[in-house]
Amino acid sequence: MKAAFFSRHFEKATTKKGNFLALVLLGFLVHLFTLLFYFLKRNDPAYKRKYEQKVNDLRSSNDFAEWIQDFRKQEQAKAQFFNQSLKEKELEAIASELASEKLHKEASLQLAAEGINKPSYKEFFAGLLKNPIFVALTFIPGIFMYVLLAIYSNPFSYFIVTRIVQSIFVIIGVATLVFTILYLSPFDPARNILGVGATQEQVDNFNRLYGLDQSYIQQLWNSLSGLFTFDLGTSFAGKEDVAQSILNKFPVTLEIALVSLVMAIIIAIPIGIISAVRPNSFIDYTFMIIALIGLSIPSFWQGLIMILTFSIDLKWFPATYNPNNWLSLVMPIIVLGTSLTASIARMTRSSMLEVIHEDYIITAKAKGLSGRKVISKHAIRNAMIPIITVIGLLFGGMLGGASVTEKVFNISGIGSYIVDKQFIPDIPAILGGVVYIAVTISLVNMIIDILYNFFDPRIRAKMKKS
Amino acid sequence: MKFISDAKLLLKVTQEYKTAQFTLAFSAILTLLFLFYSYDFKAGHSRPVVLIFFSIYAVTTGLIALSSWMIKKDLASDREIKRPTRLLGIPLVFTVLIGNIFAASYGFMLLSKNKTAEYTFAVYALLTQIFIILVSALNIYKPYVVDSFLLTMGAFIALSVVYLVMIVLIAKYVTPVTAPKWMLFAGIVLVAATVTGNIFSFLLGYSLIQKARNKDASTIEKWQKMWQKILRNTMAVFGLFFIIFMFSLSVASSWTFDYDFATKNDYSALLQTPSLEHPLGTDDYGRDLFSRIVFGAQISLIVGFFSTIIPAVIGGALGAISGYYGKTTDNIIMRLLDVLYAIPGILLAIAIIAAFGANTTNLIIALSVGAIPTYARTMRANVMQISNYEFVESAKALGASDAAVIFKHIVPNSLAPMIVKATLTIGGAVISTSSLSFLGLGVEPHIPEWGNILKVGSAYLETHSYVAVFPGLCIMLLVLSFNFLGDGLRDALDPKAN
Repeated sequence: MKAAFFSRHFEKATTKKGNFLALVLLGFLVHLFTLLFYFLKRNDPAYKRKYEQKVNDLRSSNDFAEWIQDFRKQEQAKAQFFNQSLKEKELEAIASELASEKLHKEASLQLAAEGINKPSYKEFFAGLLKNPIFVALTFIPGIFMYVLLAIYSNPFSYFIVTRIVQSIFVIIGVATLVFTILYLSPFDPARNILGVGATQEQVDNFNRLYGLDQSYIQQLWNSLSGLFTFDLGTSFAGKEDVAQSILNKFPVTLEIALVSLVMAIIIAIPIGIISAVRPNSFIDYTFMIIALIGLSIPSFWQGLIMILTFSIDLKWFPATYNPNNWLSLVMPIIVLGTSLTASIARMTRSSMLEVIHEDYIITAKAKGLSGRKVISKHAIRNAMIPIITVIGLLFGGMLGGASVTEKVFNISGIGSYIVDKQFIPDIPAILGGVVYIAVTISLVNMIIDILYNFFDPRIRAKMKKS
Repeated sequence: MKFISDAKLLLKVTQEYKTAQFTLAFSAILTLLFLFYSYDFKAGHSRPVVLIFFSIYAVTTGLIALSSWMIKKDLASDREIKRPTRLLGIPLVFTVLIGNIFAASYGFMLLSKNKTAEYTFAVYALLTQIFIILVSALNIYKPYVVDSFLLTMGAFIALSVVYLVMIVLIAKYVTPVTAPKWMLFAGIVLVAATVTGNIFSFLLGYSLIQKARNKDASTIEKWQKMWQKILRNTMAVFGLFFIIFMFSLSVASSWTFDYDFATKNDYSALLQTPSLEHPLGTDDYGRDLFSRIVFGAQISLIVGFFSTIIPAVIGGALGAISGYYGKTTDNIIMRLLDVLYAIPGILLAIAIIAAFGANTTNLIIALSVGAIPTYARTMRANVMQISNYEFVESAKALGASDAAVIFKHIVPNSLAPMIVKATLTIGGAVISTSSLSFLGLGVEPHIPEWGNILKVGSAYLETHSYVAVFPGLCIMLLVLSFNFLGDGLRDALDPKAN
């Protein structure tokens, strides 16, 4: 049973070229042998003999003469239509050529019908997989291929693995892109750190120390492997361990971002729903104008105005961040969350409005459900799906925008770290900061993607069918 | 016109009444703001100038309330707005002189029964011009003005008179579908007046020429329909007004403002509070904040415009190719753009600027690169949808090349969502520009740019908060305007998206 399982999924998966290639690559130890067998078997003399016999049989049958006659008529009609004159000899040649072409096709078809055929490598391999002994023998050398086949067998695991592979490629792409940008920089970190008075020898020494004299490929490889092993070396200025400082600064940024996100969701979704339930009412206009203002306000200016009002005038909150005082986090959280709240509220409203006009909402109303129940049971749940995606995407923008907020409130998070390092430019620090933020965002989006593919019954049903 | 029997419904569809309500709310808010500001709580005395403004605004608000009540009464008794009610618009029009744009535009709207798109354009062209004259006129309190000041101001006043005459003529002679032949000449003059940056004048001239030349009716109708949809959205119109005002001001500022006031240090006037000579005060080098903010509009608009148009073109082209060819092409392009999409725009901009240095050109490039994927995605989705239509198939069947099919047939039909997207993202670009300048990563610090001014302001927040307040307000208003306009355009051009 297990053997048939592999064979079935091998046939199914290899309808896509890419999948077949991946399977061959992962199981190349097995395929090395089976390919050899396949080529040996393909030139099987028994098949050749049978085929030739079939061809001869057909050639001597009445059918062949009939075919020649048919093709002859066909060619004549064609020539007549185009007002061409064909010589008898030419006609004969064309007709017999077409007929023998048909003959060969017919021969292999008839052989296949009798159960004797020339299998393609895919079919050959699928046939082998049906044999439990073959599977048992090749299980150790072909372990990766079998794992891949097992993944292909389940649409959910297939989706998750594709999504993970995609994210890994994106992360590598991001790292390469950011590194290339910094590599192309016309600035010379050595001169900026050592000063104008540095001798050429000192500059060379600096470059050798940080590997800046190596080739592009070598440096790129070092950076990429450094990113994946969390070993980015030391920063140019201050000689601190880059990975360690990023690790120290990330939690503050993430903490503020997450709390802002939660605040945004708690405030925005009810507002969006209320606006959508009463479209074009006074309350809807008020909410949406406030949301638009929230979207238009530059975060650093909002921060300054809040410091001016709540720290300087009213003295409610401290103006700068202090790790031991949670009150100092209130203003950064509000500032960072404002545009997110506004976006989510607008998105919720439009998503809800779309859903409210669907047929099934009318059906629910016609059934006699109360308005409240229709909204809470039928509308909100369906409207949430696009909102969750958007929240994932906005979260990325928020982490990016954190640098400005952090600067305003003097928080030593990852964002202000990158900004501080850019004047030199301190390549490992900037690279690490930007790439790790991008990785976080990619991971969050990936998890959201996977989760809602699990929770949305429509997508689930579609996957099961395929 | 259809006959509407229900008075309540009639009230609902009457544009004047809706605008009256809206204007009433805004005018009331402004009045309250003036009232609040008219008393200095710290010093414990009132500010007489502000008090005068407050009383004028209060009277205006009263007038609007009265007109709104009269409209209601008229509609209930005669089902149309009567002449005495319409005449209430005349005093309201003059509130433009104290900067109440809401009441002024409502006044004009109330005055005319015949509301063509041209009428609205002419009204807003006039309002824009008067606003520019008022703002420029503040320069007369400076020790000196630029040489071209008087000439330019004279020209602007003449232009305002032209617009005023046009308003009257349009109300009399232009119908929704036609305009008299001689309007062609007026249209050409108005289009020429666009050199002052007043785009309303261009729109007005263009539609007048269209109507006067009696071009084919469908073109006129399309143009009129589109604008009617946009102009019906009051907030979108005010957004458009503010954007054109800012644009026009930054064009006019080269002739009416002295750049030296914005950049030259004046150590005798450091950090002064707002006065007539320096309407918004001065900064830590004694530079006039008012001039700096006016010139800052130029930079913000230029950077905002270019960092929207560049990614829209590049991303649009990539998206179109990817959506049209599909399969492998699509996969390669979109996977590559996924990489760009994974880095938040502002971080990518910081990385690019860190590598190549902080100046305006690099800023534009940095902001553009990060915005490419979103445009590509929008375009791709549209192109994929439109590629399936019959007219594309027929173009292909007629033997048009792929490039011709994409750029002549598909792209023009998928521009609407791109325009909406671009309008909505210009605001974001303006915010990013000033944010990066604030971090010291944007425009060079000596150039008057809103983010740069704010950076100085943040250092003097405790003692001289006005340095930080005014440029921020300008950024917010400009971005808000773009967002309102974008929303209006989306409702008008792309009703599906809402």
